[in-house]
Amino acid sequence: MSLWHSKFRYTAGDASNRNGGNFVSTWVDRTLFVGPDDETCLHVGAPISRAELRREVEQRQAVLEGLGVSSGGTVALRLPPSLAYVANLLAAWRLGAQVSLLDHRLTQYEVDQALARLEPQVVVSAEGTLPGGLRAFYVVTDVAARRDSGRPSETEHAVIQLSSGSTGPSKVIGRTASNLIEEIARYTKIDGVPQPGERVVLMASVVHVLGLVGGLLYCLHAGTELAIPERLTVDSILKLVASSDKRTTMLGVPFHIELLASVENPPELPQLARMTTGGELVRSEVWQRFTSRYGVPLGNMYGMTEVGVIATDLFGENRPSLMPAPGLNVAEDEGEIVIEMAHSPYLGLSDPSRWADGFLRTKDAGTVSASTGLLTIHGRLDSQVSVGGLKVDLTEVEHTLAALPGVENAVVVYDNGIEAYAVVPDPTDAAALETLLAQRLAAYKRPRAIHVVEQLPRTATGKLVRAQSVLKTAK
Amino acid sequence: MSPARDEVITMLASYGDRTPEQVREKLDSLELAWLIHQVEQRYNAVLDLDDDQIVEMSTVDGAVSVLSKVLPQ
Repeated sequence: MSLWHSKFRYTAGDASNRNGGNFVSTWVDRTLFVGPDDETCLHVGAPISRAELRREVEQRQAVLEGLGVSSGGTVALRLPPSLAYVANLLAAWRLGAQVSLLDHRLTQYEVDQALARLEPQVVVSAEGTLPGGLRAFYVVTDVAARRDSGRPSETEHAVIQLSSGSTGPSKVIGRTASNLIEEIARYTKIDGVPQPGERVVLMASVVHVLGLVGGLLYCLHAGTELAIPERLTVDSILKLVASSDKRTTMLGVPFHIELLASVENPPELPQLARMTTGGELVRSEVWQRFTSRYGVPLGNMYGMTEVGVIATDLFGENRPSLMPAPGLNVAEDEGEIVIEMAHSPYLGLSDPSRWADGFLRTKDAGTVSASTGLLTIHGRLDSQVSVGGLKVDLTEVEHTLAALPGVENAVVVYDNGIEAYAVVPDPTDAAALETLLAQRLAAYKRPRAIHVVEQLPRTATGKLVRAQSVLKTAK
Repeated sequence: MSPARDEVITMLASYGDRTPEQVREKLDSLELAWLIHQVEQRYNAVLDLDDDQIVEMSTVDGAVSVLSKVLPQ
């Protein structure tokens, strides 16, 4: 019996661990299937009750078991956000398997590379071509297939995710079930999170940490309905909010604030309590536009795949700072934010610059106020470079460039000198960049070249790509 | 009637208070979501676009072409 198995399953003799003679209650049942059977827990096109979700999970569990998945087994999910994704995820977890999450937008080449690295025993994918763009969830037929080269899990992690790759080479990140349960518990202690009986309208992907734990797992645990709009368009999102009287929180990423803030006269939405986003701070004018047009607070969260939620400002009252989540030891070490974590989350990687001596090094430059405990992020630490012995934070250069008139987007990288790539549609604005930048930045901080491009490359999850080799091909 | 090219550009320009000249030929997903929002409001229609159509709509010309096919004549 593996450690994972013994750790998270009830021992024999527990009164709640039997159902029909072969049902074993797992952390999934205890943590996520809480509440009445007839209550709506998910809304993906139609409301889904807890009993219906359980049936979907049991169906997938039978399929996976038929393919030989058991405790300590490995399953990769290459599914878009869908009921099938949720059902397979929970089914594999109930079997005690380790689940790797592959974003459905990855190319076949990227998927092949990931599978060769992870060697899962079973891969679950969607049959056929996915319909429609701009969708937030899909109706798919899922197909599970066994891989002969697959190997059982070597670690007790319940979920494996690949880093998005906007900085450095992609890393394999693992989290245990107890680590996920701890994060769910952290959410329950944060003032301003959605409550039982309320509703979350989720725009972020349930395949990534914010939507997965902050959305799906938290909602299942708390008895909060999780509703996903059919499409990521304004109409679809706002109609979904309006379709229920339940007090509603919108959860998304900065892209969604930009989109929603653009609606000049949004409908009256008395049920809307707030919008919360993860990711970088939105520009203050967008923040102001959103809060005045919708009349609700715009909250912000800081987190990472390795940890989940780290700090929050759900009322938008500490902007741009955030309060560390309860139970998490967040500290500052020589200008870097570090988080106490007993074990390294990285598989097959021993890098003391990322995890050492019980602390995860975030590579985010930041400060923790001794008086208030508030955390402020100043930018990526690994974007700091040395130019002629002087330290330059590329984030600073990037932000300065991006704030110039006419600059829609900018990426600044280091390649034997500072190089900038910027989207500046108006040639007059583009011509003025050098002069304006010279007014705002010391000479050693200025880019050696500003490449004006039509569009900046982005990763599958929408993050700007910072790899010089890719940027050089931008047009 | 589906929108002509200049109307599509006007709708795109209304995102981010831009002039029509500032609208580029290539559209990102934010602009596309915005354009769909504008069209749906103006035509009181729901655009159910498939992947190929979404890909085709990544330029202004492509958007004009797709809209001419999917909107009721």
